[in-house]
Amino acid sequence: MELRFFIIRRLLLIIPTLIGLTIIVFVLMWSLPHTFLASAFINPKAPNRAQQIINAENALGLNQGIVLGYLHYLGNTFTGNWGYMTLSNPIKYSGTVLSGIGLFFPNTIQLVIFAAVLSILISIPLGTYIGARPNSLADHLGRIFSLSFYAIPVFVLAIVFQVIFGQGVIAGNPLGIFPISGTFTITSQIAISPPSWLISGVGGVVLSKPTHLIVFDALIAGDYSLASNAFMHLVLPVLVLTLSLLAGILRFLRASMVDAANSEYVKTARSKGVPEGKVIKLHMRRNALIPTVTVLGLLFASLLGGVVLIEDVFDYPGIGYLALSTILSGSIFGVLGTTFLFGIVLISANLLVDIAYAILDPRIRY
Amino acid sequence: MVQETVVRNEGQLQPKRHSRFENANSTFRLFLKNRLAMVGLVITVIYFAIAVLDSVYPQWLGVSNLSTALNFIPGHSANLALPTAPSFSGSWWFWLGTTYSRIPILPVVLGALRIDLAYTVLIVFVGMSVGVIVGSIAGYFGGIVDEIVMRVTDVFFSLPFFVFALAIVYVLGFSFTNVVLALMIIWWPTYARLSRGLALETKSLKYVEASRASGASNFRILVSHIIPNVLSPVYVQISLDLGSVIQLFAAIFFLVGSLGASAYPIEIGYMISTGESYLAQGIWWPVIIPSLFLLVFTVAVNLMGDGLRDVLDPKLRR
Amino acid sequence: MYSIQNLEDKESKEEAKEEDAYLKVTDLVTNFYTSRGIVKALDKISFSINKGEIFGMVGESGCGKSVTALSIMDLVPDPPGRVVSGKVEIDGFNIFSDLANIVRIRIKSQTDVKVKRNKRALKKHNFMLSKIRGKKAGMIFQEPSLSLNPVLRAGEQITENILIHNKKPIADSLINRANLSLDDLKHLVEEVQKNKENVRSILNEWCRSNALVDLETQINSIFRNYSDPAEIESEIVSLIKAGLTSVDKRSLIEARDYYSYIEKAENLQLSLYAAEEGSDRELISSIEKELEQLRLKEGTRYRFYSIKRIFTGRKVERVFKAEAERRAKEILSLVSLPDPERIMRSFPHELSGGMQQRVMIAIALASDPKLLIADEPTTALDVTTQAQILRLLRNLNKLVGASILFITHDLAVIAEMCHRVAVMYAGNIVEVGEVLEIFDSPKHPYTVGLLGAIPTTQAKTDAGVNMHTIPGSVPNLITPPSGCRFHPRCSFVMPVCSQSKPKLVELETGRKVACFLYSSEVDD
Repeated sequence: MELRFFIIRRLLLIIPTLIGLTIIVFVLMWSLPHTFLASAFINPKAPNRAQQIINAENALGLNQGIVLGYLHYLGNTFTGNWGYMTLSNPIKYSGTVLSGIGLFFPNTIQLVIFAAVLSILISIPLGTYIGARPNSLADHLGRIFSLSFYAIPVFVLAIVFQVIFGQGVIAGNPLGIFPISGTFTITSQIAISPPSWLISGVGGVVLSKPTHLIVFDALIAGDYSLASNAFMHLVLPVLVLTLSLLAGILRFLRASMVDAANSEYVKTARSKGVPEGKVIKLHMRRNALIPTVTVLGLLFASLLGGVVLIEDVFDYPGIGYLALSTILSGSIFGVLGTTFLFGIVLISANLLVDIAYAILDPRIRY
Repeated sequence: MVQETVVRNEGQLQPKRHSRFENANSTFRLFLKNRLAMVGLVITVIYFAIAVLDSVYPQWLGVSNLSTALNFIPGHSANLALPTAPSFSGSWWFWLGTTYSRIPILPVVLGALRIDLAYTVLIVFVGMSVGVIVGSIAGYFGGIVDEIVMRVTDVFFSLPFFVFALAIVYVLGFSFTNVVLALMIIWWPTYARLSRGLALETKSLKYVEASRASGASNFRILVSHIIPNVLSPVYVQISLDLGSVIQLFAAIFFLVGSLGASAYPIEIGYMISTGESYLAQGIWWPVIIPSLFLLVFTVAVNLMGDGLRDVLDPKLRR
Repeated sequence: MYSIQNLEDKESKEEAKEEDAYLKVTDLVTNFYTSRGIVKALDKISFSINKGEIFGMVGESGCGKSVTALSIMDLVPDPPGRVVSGKVEIDGFNIFSDLANIVRIRIKSQTDVKVKRNKRALKKHNFMLSKIRGKKAGMIFQEPSLSLNPVLRAGEQITENILIHNKKPIADSLINRANLSLDDLKHLVEEVQKNKENVRSILNEWCRSNALVDLETQINSIFRNYSDPAEIESEIVSLIKAGLTSVDKRSLIEARDYYSYIEKAENLQLSLYAAEEGSDRELISSIEKELEQLRLKEGTRYRFYSIKRIFTGRKVERVFKAEAERRAKEILSLVSLPDPERIMRSFPHELSGGMQQRVMIAIALASDPKLLIADEPTTALDVTTQAQILRLLRNLNKLVGASILFITHDLAVIAEMCHRVAVMYAGNIVEVGEVLEIFDSPKHPYTVGLLGAIPTTQAKTDAGVNMHTIPGSVPNLITPPSGCRFHPRCSFVMPVCSQSKPKLVELETGRKVACFLYSSEVDD
């Protein structure tokens, strides 16, 4: 079967998964008192509150039984009617869930993209190198490195880095050059007359045009000092995320390189006279990447957990910080909305992982 | 050639009964030779010994009647002076210094280990039992049962477990029990996937077919052939999961602490969060020492798991 | 690539000097340093394989047959295995000349052995091996499904071998083709039209004079398949000039010069290694000087070529690859695979076991080695496929003129395939001889037992028992029996057998046995 058909089949498999995800989120919602749900769904400041609550009850299908209730939920979810949230702690925000997510999501994308790309770029050559030399000094160092960063709780790493490299945390620390919170420094000049590509969002969050990723937008606009400032804000959170993801990938890649080294086809390659470098890069690594890619999905799931913790430590206005705020502020539709969004992100990541898997392993396309 | 002929004459439909134990014996001996794995095993055993000692004889640490333990709640004004540094001059309680509200770290960390380990083991064990049973049944029977189980696990795999656990805890209301429940709900699918794959493999083995041909019931085959065969990779997974779950558990309570809520009984992640604000003043021990306890345990179970995988995987045996 | 005419010449030559050993193994020792102790897998084995010969190696599983095959190419998985001492000469070149430098083995106890590898020597050793492996000896493994790389197409795996070892010949042939004028070709077609009986010899001569021998079979088949002269002409042109239009001759010549420089330098390097084995200082220094001169004279010219190739050499490389693919297809039809086009594009898992093994053989043959090492090539296949593969190997032996080391546990296969056979027992060769002689009059008690274990219909009626077995089982090679390793199972055991090891001595020409029943010579 060709890759095309595999991808189509894999795309179709998303449907049951999506249904399952909505069912789970729906069950979480439905298990709460229905009167509470109706009052949480609407804008608390809206006029004519009694009528609004009745409207919300109808929109959610609260009095129509669980099956119709689920169908209503599905309809609301896919038409973008995710409810209303009022957040007070630590983010201050009041508005619909979806627009709130729109505000915070780009920052997380920025964080995750940097961390994922960086860790993959580092781990593959490094894992190839140490995996091809089992029990050498480099291998031992690599294993110690990956096991320790795998075992250090990500929040501990974050707070320790914050103290060591954070700007102004310890007075006179020469290493303390990285800002420890937010996405960029809002100078008084920016506050007074923001450049046209910066849109002030609700609740102190600043959005940028056109990509919504502030580092890139600043670069596009040619404001290099702001770009570098935003970049410096990213360094620490990205570093922590990268280290924990890197350690995970490295562990698996090393193990599967060792497996591949013991395989028969590597013997065949050597028996042809393939130079050692090419044996490692073409024959061993191509095969070792297959099992590594399969765990990438799991690693990504734990990366998303790490995102929540890191955004908490660095006060980074991303989706994880938003999720925490919704919990702390007791906004049920905020909680459900962010959980659903995290689910969508992971489903997409798993889709990409499976496609990468199929590209790497011709056997799986069947 | 001669040998092969002889073997064929004996016929090998059913594996010899004693061979499994012989195998277990040699596996164990190989495991003992793996120094790193042994270090991991010893450390893990020490951790569990402390936890068991603490629950059987709670007075040994004296934490249970430590009235100040209650002052561990943020905002309590009992003692807002800075924590004291590790010092070996006084009572053993203060060997690792004190943390928020001048609570001694060493006895409290040891007491917290009991909580963390007990709940971790509970989560992993329940997750494993449910997962192995569901997975083995799915793999063995195949068909619609398998399809349903696979789709359900797919859904669980598409849930970012940390966020999902937080959402469950939010809906159920925050408490120790609910955190544990949430982690149990998200933890079984790993085992279901793993054992389903292994059950599929085992199902087509000759001796299982022979057993079915000789009239064994499905239940009997599942219990006496499929599940025992599924278990050895599951042991490896358990070993690695002890590390992941304890970290997840600690992470949730770290969040709880750092967001200003209070947690009692005391837990390691929560301890770390209470020490966070001191770091900038150069007071490192309230964060680093509890973290080290967590780190060492995770490293130990991972070493043990890696060693276990090495000896259980015949490909890697030398 | 393999023109029939050539092979006939070769065969007649081969007969003339049959005593020439292509592979010579002397006192080879391979150990495995495991956690349970040292497995002495090969205990000083010696044998040689002549040019064009099929040499069988037979024994029970675990007797060291496969280890022998792997040791010859230094492919024993390391750790835990290691060739410890001995010589393996392939085409007169000892691949283990620098063995003492590569590893230092310190034995503290049976289970605690420190193996220290010298990285620089190992690098040199690996470089040298990469020039020998594939080019001088190819290997066919037992499990084709595991031995083919699952993520690479069959075509890629064959062309890889061709491109590693044949860059210069490919460049030569490409230049020859670029040089060919159309008038020459017209002339050839006319001549063939006039003289239809002698197509083969005319073609042969024409190909030789234009240095296009590697295309002879294909040109020949064009003449056979088409009759219209114009059509023949256009077909040949498209064959010869295929891919050449996209690249100019100057860059081809540049590439050829570069590769011939590389080849020269590598050959000198290899002869330097060979010389280093002996202690002829003069020879070593003269080769070193020559190498240095070559590097001074030509190396400087090509210093930037390898960089330049990255940017401008793509086109040339593509032509090389196309030519390698053409050759690969030819080899695939040589191993009787139908539809080479499709096979080239297939992944290993899309092929049947028999097809996989043929691809494996094609890979081994790709650089035209003069020795094939076949390690139980049919064990993993079903019976009908087995017979096909065996026939194929036998035909290849005749057609290509390659010697084959054929390893199997199946005596029937040995009888069918081989010229000579060695019988192995527990890491020792116990008997060597012509196949017929060994089957007619086995000398070593183990060989006798092995032959007796073949089930025959006759034995059943004769004795009422359908099978003889050798009592006991293969010894544990961590603690092998003292003296002759077979003595605990031998029915002719004598006191001397447990004390000293019998030497493999020549009883009559080409017949060697290691047993105290025939000679009292002791191996130390």
